[in-house]
Amino acid sequence: MAINNISGCIGCGVCVKTCPTDVIRLNSKGKAEIKYPEDCQICHLCRMYCPVDAITITPEKSIPVIVSWG
Amino acid sequence: MGNNINRREFISLSGGFAGMAALASMGISGWGDNEAELTVDEIESKQHSCDVLVIGGGMAGLFAAIKAHDAGAKVLFVSKGRLGSSGQTPFAKGIFEYDPKNAKLTIDEFVEKVSLSAIGTNNRVYTRQLAEHSKARVDELREWGFFESPLYNKSFSKPINERQIPLMERITITNLIKENGKIAGAAGFSIDEKEVHFFNAKSVILCTGAGGFKPNGFPICDLTHDGTIMAYNIGAKVTGKEWNDGHPAKEKNAAASFDGWGDMFLQKPSTTDINIRHDLGVDMNYQAYVGGGGSMRMGPQGPNGGASVKGGPQRPAGLDNQMPGGQGSKPEGGKRPPKGKEGGAPPGMSGGVVGGSSAGMSIHKSEGLVPINDKCESNIPGLYAAGDALGSHMAGGIYTQIGSSLAGSAVQGAVAGEAAAEYSGKTEIQKLSKSKINTIQSEIFAPLKRESGYSPAWVTQTLQGIMIPNFVLYVKKESIMRAALAYVVELRESHLPYLRAKDLHELRLVHETRNMIITAEMKLKASLMRKESRCSHYRMDYPEIDHENWDAWINIFKGDNGEMLFEKQAFDSWS
Repeated sequence: MAINNISGCIGCGVCVKTCPTDVIRLNSKGKAEIKYPEDCQICHLCRMYCPVDAITITPEKSIPVIVSWG
Repeated sequence: MGNNINRREFISLSGGFAGMAALASMGISGWGDNEAELTVDEIESKQHSCDVLVIGGGMAGLFAAIKAHDAGAKVLFVSKGRLGSSGQTPFAKGIFEYDPKNAKLTIDEFVEKVSLSAIGTNNRVYTRQLAEHSKARVDELREWGFFESPLYNKSFSKPINERQIPLMERITITNLIKENGKIAGAAGFSIDEKEVHFFNAKSVILCTGAGGFKPNGFPICDLTHDGTIMAYNIGAKVTGKEWNDGHPAKEKNAAASFDGWGDMFLQKPSTTDINIRHDLGVDMNYQAYVGGGGSMRMGPQGPNGGASVKGGPQRPAGLDNQMPGGQGSKPEGGKRPPKGKEGGAPPGMSGGVVGGSSAGMSIHKSEGLVPINDKCESNIPGLYAAGDALGSHMAGGIYTQIGSSLAGSAVQGAVAGEAAAEYSGKTEIQKLSKSKINTIQSEIFAPLKRESGYSPAWVTQTLQGIMIPNFVLYVKKESIMRAALAYVVELRESHLPYLRAKDLHELRLVHETRNMIITAEMKLKASLMRKESRCSHYRMDYPEIDHENWDAWINIFKGDNGEMLFEKQAFDSWS
């Protein structure tokens, strides 16, 4: 996972707008959900902008990671 | 240019890539049915008109919008993400300020020393402009509260709201539009609403940043050279594609950008003083390659932490003891806490590191549209670019001054804003033709209509498998680059036309994938053409600097038949 959990969301939508790679969307209940986890760049901007500290992020990517060596 | 390759050569050279590409695509659906969640008929078309259209909501776009407005132009400001929260701007914490009152070098000396470090690859006019204008921009930022928070949306919004500049966020611009040889506007779509937007403008400023191949460990996955490729498609010249940004990522959880940079993303920004370096090219990539890709650590070292390996990229005299993050050095261009203690690895980078975290990106300010003068103007009348979208070569083909990247974006944004406003004041608007609008709209949404096709994620991962390995673009050799080029051309010819999109998020990925593939072709062909080694471009087969033939930049442009053409432009000259 990248963005791991959203708990205590107040539905302000700031994380949706803030995410550079459009990972989060509001669901039918008006709460933030992780819709496109494979596009998360694990930059934590959503977490830093969240007014109620609702977002938990872990450092693992959900799809294979290509690096230059190793 | 002899970049053509026949099929036999392709097969004999490229066996290794096939395996890598297959590996890269693990876990991602490739070809499949398209279960589209919306139809093209649901898309509403909206038209807008303005004097100056600013595209991109980072540091360059902020100043472009403000200065064009203050010069009397009717401005429209559109961004792929949120203002101050997309591209590289939110992560850049150091901003260079040249204050003549207490600077330790005169501006002439500063320009001279940057040019020495850049081995002539910098454009001295833009290097000087950076120093001359940086303090004024920093003063304005201070007034807006920029230095008071690690998050930039609030301070960026202040001057935009005060001026009531209309701002549209989360709009993916896909096309620039030219009519009668001049810029006429742009087109794109919303990722939230079922809307396509056509912007009719007297002038356009691209503040769209740089880009990469959605690499792991550096927060640039929303940057895919969109502006450069849009501009290239309507005849603009672009440059700087052979240079490389050499930032590493942590060995463990390499994709975690935040974790790789420790607490830096949490810090408030601050200013940097003169500190000229020769950093973050491909030295570490070379060492890892020659040492067999052993465990790398930041700082002067051999691949296994021993003595430095011989050979590799040359450093100018006087700048030879600086390795990224090594003793007495701080990497680059706005990405480091500026006034921290000297020396040591970047925060969080103390363990083993791997390369490729910014793969597909050149040195800041050195790739993008070719400027025809010091006003950030391109060869297309009315089209301007600023910041990382402009190939100003302000710093040259290597990082030469800490914090200059963010400062350069502010400085160039302001210059472009004023120039575009002046241009639009004496120009008639070029009407958008109906046929062009229809064609563009149908091209933008074609992937939604496809009943089956390749997922953009699969094509992107395949591209990553071809382009990110150390031995392709970092430590370059003709045979490997030709093999990689064959794969990239294959993706362009036989995969791009079949990309599918089920929703607006995936439609954005389709257009980003297109831009990355064209960029990959540019980077390989420019790297093949530059038969020497200098700054962040290193060729095993041409390891020396060649002043006789290569004191020149490489410009790329589209020929009449759609072919990719190349030309040299001598350093210190204009196109």
